[in-house]
Amino acid sequence: MKLLIECSKKDSSLFDMSDGIILPLKGFSVESVCYFTYEEIKNIVETSKVEVFVKMNKNFMNEEIDSLTDMLKKLNSLGIKGIFFYDLAILELKKELSLTIDLVWNQTHMVNNYKTCDYYYSKGVQYALLGKEITLEEIKEICLRSQVSSMVEVVSRPSVAFSRRSLIHNYYCDLGESGPSELVISEKVSNEKYHLIEDENGTTFFLDTVTNGTSVLSELYSIGVDYIIMREYGLENIFHDLVLDTMNYINDGCKDNKYILKYKKLGDSTNFFFKKTIYKVRKNG
Amino acid sequence: MDKIELLSPAGDLERLKVTLLYGADAVYIGGEKYSLRANADNFTLSQIREGCSFAHKLGKRVHLTLNIVFHNEDMDGVFEYISQVVDAGIDAFIVSDPFIISYIKTKFPKVEVHLSTQNSTSNYKAIQYFEREGVDRVVLARELSKKQIEEIVKKVDTDIEVFIHGAMCTCFSGRCALSNYVTNRDANRGGCAQVCRFVFENPGKKDFTMALKDMNMAEYIKDLIEIGVTSLKVEGRMRSLYYLATVIGTYREIIDSYYTNTLTEEKMNLFQQRLDRVANRETSTHYFMKNADYTDQYYTGRAEKSNQDYLGQVISYDGTLLKFYERNYFEVGDLIEVFTPNGEHISFVLERMYDSEKNPVNVARHPDAVYYLEYAFECDIPEYSMIKIVKRKEILGKI
Repeated sequence: MKLLIECSKKDSSLFDMSDGIILPLKGFSVESVCYFTYEEIKNIVETSKVEVFVKMNKNFMNEEIDSLTDMLKKLNSLGIKGIFFYDLAILELKKELSLTIDLVWNQTHMVNNYKTCDYYYSKGVQYALLGKEITLEEIKEICLRSQVSSMVEVVSRPSVAFSRRSLIHNYYCDLGESGPSELVISEKVSNEKYHLIEDENGTTFFLDTVTNGTSVLSELYSIGVDYIIMREYGLENIFHDLVLDTMNYINDGCKDNKYILKYKKLGDSTNFFFKKTIYKVRKNG
Repeated sequence: MDKIELLSPAGDLERLKVTLLYGADAVYIGGEKYSLRANADNFTLSQIREGCSFAHKLGKRVHLTLNIVFHNEDMDGVFEYISQVVDAGIDAFIVSDPFIISYIKTKFPKVEVHLSTQNSTSNYKAIQYFEREGVDRVVLARELSKKQIEEIVKKVDTDIEVFIHGAMCTCFSGRCALSNYVTNRDANRGGCAQVCRFVFENPGKKDFTMALKDMNMAEYIKDLIEIGVTSLKVEGRMRSLYYLATVIGTYREIIDSYYTNTLTEEKMNLFQQRLDRVANRETSTHYFMKNADYTDQYYTGRAEKSNQDYLGQVISYDGTLLKFYERNYFEVGDLIEVFTPNGEHISFVLERMYDSEKNPVNVARHPDAVYYLEYAFECDIPEYSMIKIVKRKEILGKI
């Protein structure tokens, strides 16, 4: 099991600490807080010793297809490990252009079953970043029954929704004010906080509560998850140590309980690892 | 030129029949499983069979939503279910999962598969991928402009369907799990709690809301037809009979008027008024002609109207007495309108009304009770015609 990290700042000291890094490509990705230009990615690939994945998880519009095509051609020869994609235009272009680069199926809330993982695998998609809203049991079943290489986000302030609209700007427009590009709001019943971040592509919703999956790493390790992901956003003060300790923990076979005890400080939210969502709230009439 | 399809939602068998009678060319329905409206009444297999039979006799079509985002456990039984609903006569599946698409196209190549808007398909290149997978139609993301839709239609062979009317999601469809996190209800398996209509606190400022106005594309139907879109979709499987009768009936008239070159400004004003009256929220055309902005959202107090216009649903007419189920209070002296699935609209001041025993009454005040009204209509008034208020008696008295 390898550790991939996504950083919230362009801090090169973190890049070589894990097995790999995820670099959101500016203009081609969303639901992140720190984006990299092609030149910056090229420079990192040339200087870094770890696996580099590039995130291109945007819903593309017609007018962006030409630049997407050009970018994919450039990335194909750059020596990166793979591309995270949401939009099927990328899979289509991989086929049309005979690109050799590996892809990661990253349709945020949709990567939820083994059969569809295998469908994508049969289409040349090597990896799948599993949905954050499925249980550990479901993850286990996907790992057991699918051929795709699995990735699981284990520690993060999770992104939970994305709108094309400028929701913060619009809110302040109505107030007759010029507002910030970030906003923290609370849902009134649950008091749960959400961090909204807006850029030229739209508005991302991040949950304030950190998902702490450190306690499930040993199980993920034993069921054969290929990659775990940790994201720095919201964890800046602790991330360096967390990455270092997690690498040691994995290299030791996920046996040292002191790691789990140490990172209890990340909180007790295990997101949906042990909680099933419901969808039927009334019987048919 | 093939006539554009008007596609209506239908939450149950009665609504399926009514909406087809009012002019929909096709309906989309949800079965008891695998649909994104898990809490609607939805259709049993025998109801699907009856609905398909009813539609096919009229030369119309039934599409079934199978558009949840599947978890492992949802795969159990889905193949058998697909086979059963194909056998029941379904014309097309609306699907978001490409594995399910591939399965249906392999096993049942004659049944159409439509890619759900849950995929938020927003460009021609992604559609070209699904073309090769055998998808017959793509329901586009609701975030696209006229120019973008036009380019897509030009560059792909697949049929294109667009939403024209009804409620909107704030986020890209499929790209939102707010419901999961706030209420534990799975947005992508039919449990969406519509968290984007909730009110959030922003300390020290006015509450934060992000709810959208509904979509109303009536004024651009002409453009959508001329672009070459295949199907115009109305949202709302959980909407009332009256709403569907009004909305579908109105869009039917708009489309037909376009093709007969009789779509005047005066008629459009009338159609728009009808749609506005039945709406419970303000409306917008969102991204179609501009980038969506704050005017497409509710930030200034979101007052949803409870529509009291709907007075009754017609059971029968014997040439003198119109028998109907009452829906909202009204009385003798009110100016009312009866409209029919055939597109007739007859307005008159109500002079005589009777209860179910045919005793004269001045008011109808018991919703669901049977009443009669007396009027000499010059046309047939079939079952499922609707009665609505035009002006209340007290307002007429002031005019």
